[in-house]
Formats: sequence, structure tokens, C-alpha cells
Amino acid sequence: MTDTLNLLIGIAAGLNLLALASSRLPSMIRAAALQGLVLGVLPLLLEDDWSVLLVAMAAGTALAKGFVIPSLLRRAMHAASIDREVEPLIGFVPSLLLGALATILAMLLSRSLPLLPEHSRTLLLPGALATAICGALLIMARTKAISQVCGYLVLENGAYLFGLLLLRSTPLLVEAGILLDLTVGIFVIGIVVDRIQREFDSLDTRNLTELHE
Amino acid sequence: MTAGWLLAGASAALVTAGALAWRWARASVAATLAACGAAAAAALWTLTGAGTWDWQPGLALGGQPIHLQLDPMSAFFLALLATVGGAGSWFARGYWSDRERGSSAARGRLWWAAFLLSVGWLLLTRNGLHFLLGWELLAITAYFLITLDRRDPEARAAGWLYLAASHTATLSLFLFFAALASRTGTWELGPVRDPAVAPLFWLALIGFGIKGAVWPGHVWLPSAHASAPSHVSALLSGVAIKIGMYGLFRFSEWLPLPAQAGWVVLGLGLASGVLGVAFALAQHDLKRLLAYHSVENIGIILIGLGFAILARQYGQPAWGNLVLAGGLLHVWNHGLFKSLLFLGAGSVHHATGTRIMSQLGGLWRSMPWTASFFALGAMAIAGLPPLNGFVSEILIYVGLFDAFASGHPAYAAVGSAVLLGLTGALALACFSKVVGVVFLGAPRTAAAAHAHEAGPEQRTAMAVLAGLCVIIGLLPAGAWPLVAMVAAQWQGQPVQNTPLLLTYLGSLHLALGCAGVAAAALLMARLRRVGVRRAPTWDCGYAAPQATMQYTAGSYAATMTGWFRWILRPQRHGEPVHGIFAQPTRVTEHTGETVMQLAVEPLARAVLLLGDLARRMQHGRVQAYVLYILVGVAFIAALALHGGAP
Amino acid sequence: MIAWAEPVASTLLRAIAWIALAPLVPGIIHRTKAWIAGRRGPPILQLYYDLARLWRKEVVWSSVASPMHLLGPAVAWVAVLGAALLVPTDAAHAGLDLPGSAILFVYLLALARFGTAAAAMDTGSAFEGMGAAREVSYAVLSEVALVTGLLALSVHGGSASLAHMFDASGGVGSALLAGGLFVVLLAENCRVPFDDPNTHLELTMVHEVMVLDHSGPPLAVILHGASLKLAIFSVLLVKAVVPLGQHSPLVAVAVLGAAAAGVGVGVGIAESLMARLAFRRVPLLLTTAFLLNLFALLVEVEGGRLR
Repeated sequence: MTDTLNLLIGIAAGLNLLALASSRLPSMIRAAALQGLVLGVLPLLLEDDWSVLLVAMAAGTALAKGFVIPSLLRRAMHAASIDREVEPLIGFVPSLLLGALATILAMLLSRSLPLLPEHSRTLLLPGALATAICGALLIMARTKAISQVCGYLVLENGAYLFGLLLLRSTPLLVEAGILLDLTVGIFVIGIVVDRIQREFDSLDTRNLTELHE
Repeated sequence: MTAGWLLAGASAALVTAGALAWRWARASVAATLAACGAAAAAALWTLTGAGTWDWQPGLALGGQPIHLQLDPMSAFFLALLATVGGAGSWFARGYWSDRERGSSAARGRLWWAAFLLSVGWLLLTRNGLHFLLGWELLAITAYFLITLDRRDPEARAAGWLYLAASHTATLSLFLFFAALASRTGTWELGPVRDPAVAPLFWLALIGFGIKGAVWPGHVWLPSAHASAPSHVSALLSGVAIKIGMYGLFRFSEWLPLPAQAGWVVLGLGLASGVLGVAFALAQHDLKRLLAYHSVENIGIILIGLGFAILARQYGQPAWGNLVLAGGLLHVWNHGLFKSLLFLGAGSVHHATGTRIMSQLGGLWRSMPWTASFFALGAMAIAGLPPLNGFVSEILIYVGLFDAFASGHPAYAAVGSAVLLGLTGALALACFSKVVGVVFLGAPRTAAAAHAHEAGPEQRTAMAVLAGLCVIIGLLPAGAWPLVAMVAAQWQGQPVQNTPLLLTYLGSLHLALGCAGVAAAALLMARLRRVGVRRAPTWDCGYAAPQATMQYTAGSYAATMTGWFRWILRPQRHGEPVHGIFAQPTRVTEHTGETVMQLAVEPLARAVLLLGDLARRMQHGRVQAYVLYILVGVAFIAALALHGGAP
Repeated sequence: MIAWAEPVASTLLRAIAWIALAPLVPGIIHRTKAWIAGRRGPPILQLYYDLARLWRKEVVWSSVASPMHLLGPAVAWVAVLGAALLVPTDAAHAGLDLPGSAILFVYLLALARFGTAAAAMDTGSAFEGMGAAREVSYAVLSEVALVTGLLALSVHGGSASLAHMFDASGGVGSALLAGGLFVVLLAENCRVPFDDPNTHLELTMVHEVMVLDHSGPPLAVILHGASLKLAIFSVLLVKAVVPLGQHSPLVAVAVLGAAAAGVGVGVGIAESLMARLAFRRVPLLLTTAFLLNLFALLVEVEGGRLR
């Protein structure tokens, strides 16, 4: 079980890097979606006895992260007729290397953190750290609002992985909290995207600097 | 005792060489060569197990008793000094001849002898004050050697920068030796057990690091190496910066080190390695390029030293054996092939009057000997088998694997191996560029087209160095005992016998060399058989090829320098072409010295600004001066009354 | 029986096998591509015919060329053959057993690169200079990726000798390594996403443009060396990924040969499905290969702790 779990987390970490290396928005959205899908399955692996609630939660998470939000993003992209090219502030190769560095450092750091014995053999913590850092990197290093939403999604996935560490003690709380967070985030971003679009006819967040006094 | 007589003879010969420098050029060079021969013999004598020569005559210099000692570590560096010193002095006979250079050539011989003497003294003395004396003499003689061509403003500026950097290093070392002496109670140098002296290592690292051109203390090096006469560049690069390494090896052997020393040395080594070669790629001046490669190779040496220190600090010197030996051997190797390359670059400069690579080209046909020696040196420095550079690099690589297997600095070893691979690949790219642009293809200017082969003295000097590169490459097992003796001294315990790696590597190198020669001969014979037709280069059928259309140094490296733009910070002058019907335009790109521009120059400006402010106090009004004196006296009085007693 | 006779004989035998079989690999690739495109394609032995023809042909020698023009190909060929002999070809680890031979392997390939780049620069042609510049630039990245991959293997096998480090486990590490080494194979041998060996536009070439001015026997040597290098990387990839240890030597060699041919088919498929990358995207792909190998290394290092 642990092996499969670690494999999935490893795939998620690889998808971080794929998102960082994507030069087209659709592939970046796809990477984030796939990551959400992969992570949605994780609770089923962590728990031995599947309750209805658990299965429903997992399915809900996978559905929301893997299909609903990405398709919303795709629709937003088409509706606002945004150019597919990603515009990087930090080039693709440097951001890829930074992401890999973050992943390795997360790995090393998690060695020295106190963990529950059942988690010490899993990659949950390093995976969560790496995913969160890569999401932040994605937000920092890209200009377009859609790519920032993707970054936010990846960051959320990292937070979700952290939450899985607490799954046994407070499962429902974790899930609900995450989904709430996500919804709020999407709302905020949606509004921001809409505003920028109306104001500037483009989705370049660098234009936001013109809004200050 | 034989070593003592040999060294006495060498010193006497050097003094004679200095004395004869003005009138009897030939005798002076002969004396220098004799001195180098004697010193090399003494060094090899010690390295082959004759024991340490120790000499305390009971004389005093500057109030301190003279104490000279030739142990394996000193002998190791002395051998390099003698080799490069001898080759360079012989090279100078053709390159910096009396006929062309007049009195400058004579001054060159004098300062050359003085330089060798002061470095020899530095290597042998066991007294801190005397060490500083030798250090200062080294700085001054090197200054005069750099500025041999007094009319060249570039050389003068480079000399000043060198002197300034050298004195920054001296300042740090002065603090180091003074603090060491005050702690141990004597200026005598030797192993110290007192752990309280450990933090002094940082002072030594700064001082020797600047001298040894460790990044970012290398700021003086590019201009000094580029503007100095080439035999001097060879000596500076082959020997002078190795004295910095000598200091680091020596004092890491003698003193207890702070816990982070190994990591810091390793980090500096990695930074020097990668950044040195990155800057080298961006250079247009052949000798500046070579200078930056010195930074790179110093980095490789420091990687070896850093891991060796780590191994000792973990209490398991065994896995440090190979990295240490690799680092030490790289000191020799770099001294040999870098001197060879500088001598080759000097011959090119002598023959064409330019050091700008993009004005050269096609020199292989006009100067085949120089070109062959240079290509050999280029392959050696790029770490290609079957030459000596590869021997030291594979020792370091395998040593890194040992370090990994030991489990302690596992990630550092992996990272270092990857970065070492990056450095090696970049160095290969850089030297294929140099050989391709300078020696191959068609001459780009008239100067390059009318080049002449280097004189016999120059060729002999290069041949000796090239021969040593080949010998170490083909007989690595023969070099091991010499290096192992030094490594054993450094670790304080014997190291392993000749590793299987080197025995095998030697025969593989030999086989590779033979196979290469055989394949070339076979191909040549086949060419004779099928016949050869001469034709202009096809060049995809372009009808009016010009030599200036060839790839230049800049365009060859453009992709790679693009990756390092963040630190190279190239400056572009002129407008690039744009539009469909573009107007003729002129674009130049120039890579400055980033550390110089971002750190040293602002600091210097701040100091000058402070100086300007201070100068306002000197305005010529006696009334105010009296006030200053009064304030000063009052301050001292306050200090004496209040803060004087603890 | 003299002690050294047997290793020398076996080395010679393997050298002959490498030399004789290497030109098959490009043939397999071409055949695969032709099959996918629905063409009949050249015979699988086409490269042998080409080499034989070139070996007999007269040489056109550029008027600006120096002896390097001949030395370069000769040295490069010898270096590549030396690298081939380091690679063990059966389960009995019959490569030249040198501690640290993985490093020698990498540097022999570097020596070959130096030879070909110098021979290209020797003609004074702008196109060939361009090819040489690209070759050495991309090689920087692919060499870093290759070193990392070999490190992963040596960590796994517990030795830095090529003869002892191929003990493929078939786990996650192997999968990552397979991806990374395959990209390195494509880059080092100038195959499709990096370079199009069949293109006719010199501006987009890497390896092909470096040999434009070579002809006759030297060109034959270069082409043979290139096929040898392709064969080496195919075998390396198979040895790194496919567990061969449990088979008897004869079966292992047969499996190895079949798998290497399979790699050739894989390259052919990849070439048929992909277009050449824009040059500015090349570093990204090579960085990806480096990271794949790096994570394979990480899996090897950390794997023990997690299990």
C-alpha cells in the first residue's frame, strides 16, 4: 500500500514540474487537473476500511479538482480568447530547476521533522512541501491570470496533502476545509480575472500595477 | 643532506643568474636552468622517499631564527616551480629576446630569478615572519614581471590591480600569522594542536584564496594574466596561484580547522569551477580566457581539498584518499598544461600581434608545432583521456563515489559529481572553440595569414611541458607514489598503495594512444590509395566565401553564454539589425568582470568618497589644526582615563 | 596458455562484434520509419553498402584544411570504440573492468566530440562552425544528464565501474532512468527532436552539417562512428533498464541484442511521431532528461530508507 501511495505522490511531484515546464496554458491546466485527480484517490489508499463518506469525499475531490475546475478554466480561456502561450517571468529551465531543487530540499527537510510512525515511510510530507512550493513558484514566475490560477490549484493540492496527514484524526473537517478554501479561491480568482479582462482587455497581471494610486 | 646541497646550489645559481642578467644573457639563462634542475632534483629526491631535509643554522633574519625544511609537501610544489620556472626562462629567450625587447629582457631575467628565489624561500621557510617576507617579495617580483613592458598602459593597470589584491591578501595573512604567533607564543610554524586557533583558518582562507584566484577573490587575475608577457602569465598561473593552494594545503594540514571548513572550501571550489569556465566561455581575448580557466581548475583542486577535509573531520580519512590525491595531482597537472597553453598563446601573440581570437584563424598551417602543442594542452585541460588532466579528474570522481559510499556527505558528493561533469563539458566546449577558432579554418586577418612559426627555444619549452603532460597521462601509476607521499603527510597516516584504477588506466591510455595513432595512419594510407583532390570548402555551395564568415569565438559560445547571462552580464554596444531592409550597423558585446563591477568597484568608490570627505579637514587653516590637536589629545586622555584599564 | 591472451582475445572479439553489428542500428531505425510512413524504405543493410562505397571513393580535401581534418575522425572513431569496449555486453560482465570506468566512458565520448568538432571547424565553413557549436552546447546538457544517470546506476550497483553497475531492478528508478537515458540517446546521437538526420536544410542541422565537407574514407569513419555511438547508447539503455542477470549468458546476449534492436525500433517510432524541436526548446527537454535521471538517483538513494 505504501509503495502505491509513494508512487502516486511521486507522480504528483512530477506533475508539479510538468506544470512548471509547460509553455502552453492547456498543458499547464492538464497537469494541474491530473494532479488533482491523482491526489483525489489518496484517501482511499490511506484508509483500510472504506466508509461511504470517505468514498464520496474522494470522488468529490477527484471530480472537483480533476474535472470541474479545469473545465471552468478552459472555458474561461476560450471565452476571454486568451492566447495559449505562457509568458514566464522566470524562464522555463530555471523554474524547472528551482522546482526540482525545492522537491529535493523538501525531501531532505522532511527527514528532520517529527512525524507519526505511520507517516515516516510515506512521501506525504515531502510531497506536500514540494507541491506547495512549486505552486507558489508558479504564481510568482508566470504573468497570466490563468496560469496563476493553476499555481493556486497546485498550491491547494499541497495544502490538501498536508491535510491528509491529519486524515485519521479529523477527516471530515480536513476535507470540508479544503473544499471551502478551494471554492473561495476560485471565486476570488474568477472575480479578479473578470475585472482585469474588463479593464484591460487582457489577462496580464502585470497590468494590475497600473491600478495603484 | 644531498637535498641541502642541491638547494644551496640552486640558490647560488639564481643569485648568479640575477647578477649576470644584464650583460651575459646566455649565462644568466643557463644559471636559471641549472638552478631549476637542481631544485627539481632536490624535490624529486625528497618525494621518492629520501626523507625530510631540515636546516637550522642558528642564524637570524629580522630577529627570527632561520629554519628551512624540505618535506614532501614543500617538495611537491617546489618541483612544479622548478619545471615551470625552467621552461619559462628558456621560452623567454625566443619570446622576450634582447634583440626585440632591449633592456626589458634583461630586467625580465633579473626579476624571474628573484621570483623563483622568493617562491622557493616561501615554500621552505618554517617561520611565520619569514613566510610573510617571502610572500611580499613574491608580490613585488610578480608586479615587476607583469609590468615588464612598461610602456603598455594595460600592463601597468593590471600590475596595480595585482598589487592591490595581493596586499589585501597580505593584510589578511599578516593578521593570521600575528594571531597565530600570539596564541602559540612563537613565529615558528608547525603542527598546532590547540583547538582555539581553528577560527584563524578563515583569515588564511581569505589571504590564500585571493592569491589562489578562488572565486570571488579572482578579480585581479584576468587582467594580470592577459596583459603580462606570456612566459610571466605561465609562471603566474602555473606557480603563483598555486602558492595560494600551497598555503591552504599546508595550513589545513597543520592547524585544527573549524567544523565548517570543509563545506566552505567545497562550496568555493564548486563556485570557482562552474563560474570560472562560464566566464572563460564569454571571453574574446585568448589569454583572458586561459586566465578564467585557471579559476576553474583551482575550483577542481578545492573540490578535492574540501572533501579531504570533510573525510578527516568525519574521522575516516580513508575515503578521502583519492579525492585528496586527485586534488594534489591536479595542482601539478594544471601547472603543466596551463603553462603550456600560456606559452602557446604567447607564441601566437608573438607571431600575429593580437590576442583577440576572432582576428586569428588557420594558424595550424603557418605554425604547426605551436598548434599541435596547444591542441595537446587543450585536450589535457579539457580532461580528455589519455592525457594527465583526465588522471586527476577521474581520481576526484572515483573519490567522490567513495565519499558517497561512505554515507556521510552523500548528497554533497552527488551534487559535486554532477557539477564537475558540467564543468568538464563546458571546458571541452570552450577549448574546442579555442582550437577551432585560433588554429583551424581560414585566417581571418592579414596578421593571422602571415604568422610565423615560433622559434626553437619556444618550441623546446612547449615540448618539455607537453611531454610531461603525456607522461603523466600514460604512466599515472608512476606519479602515484609521489602524490601519495604528500597525501600521507597531509593526512598524518599512510595512504593506500597504487590504486588498481591507475595501473589499469595507464595501460588503457597507452592502448588508446596506440590505437589512435594506428587509426590515423591507416586512414592516411587509405587516403593515399584512393587519391585526394584539392578544392575550396564547399560551404553548401556558397560562391563567395570569406574568412570573416566563419564562426567566431563569440558565436561559437553564444548558446552557452546565454545560460549564464545572469552572472556574465554582457554589455552590448550598438543597435542590432532589424527590419527587412536593414541598414549596416556595428554591434559589439563585451563581458566585464562581474565581481569587480558589482563588489570591488563600489567598495573602492566608497573608500575614495570617505577619503575625499577626510581631505576636507585639510584646508590649511592653522587655527583649525590646533583645534584638531586639542580634540585629539582630549580624546586620548578620555580614553586613558576611562577605557584604558579593564 | 598465457594469462593475458584470453582477455585480449575476448576484447578483440567484442571489438569486431561492435564494429560489425553497429551499422545495423540505423538500418533498423530507417526501416521502422519507412514502415510507419507506408514506404518500402532502404534495405536494412544500407549503411554497410554506403560505407563500402565511401571507403573506395576519392577524397575531396578542402584547401584550408589541416591534418586535424583527418586526425579528428580517426581519434573520434577510436574513442567511441574504446567507449564501446567498456560497456559489458553479457551477464558475465565482460567489459573492460576498470574501477571508475563509467567516468572514462563519458570522457571518451567527450574526446570523440572534440575530434568531430575540431574536424568540422577545420574547414572554415560557417555552416560547419554552426554545427560544431550546437553539438558542443547541447552536449553540455546531455553529458550532465548522462553523468547523473550513470551515478544513479552506480549507486544502485554499488560500484563506479560499468562492469558492475548494471543490475537493473525494474522499479520506479528504472522507469525514470529509461525516460532520461532515452532522451540522452536521442540528443547524443542527434536524432529527431534534437536534429533531423534526413533534413535538407543545413540551417536546422547539427551532426549532419558538421560533416558536409568530409568525403571518402574519412566520411565513412565518421558515419561508422556515429552508428557505433547509437549502438552503444542502445545497449546502455537496455542494460540500465532491463533485468538480465538471471538468464544464462547466451540467452542474455540474445535478449540484449533483441532489446537493442527494439530500442532502434523505438527511436524510429519516436522519429515518426515527433517533429524537430525549435532550438530554443532543446535545453528544456535536456533539462527534463537530467531531472528524470536525478530523480532516479534520488529514488536509489532514498529508496532504502522508505522501504
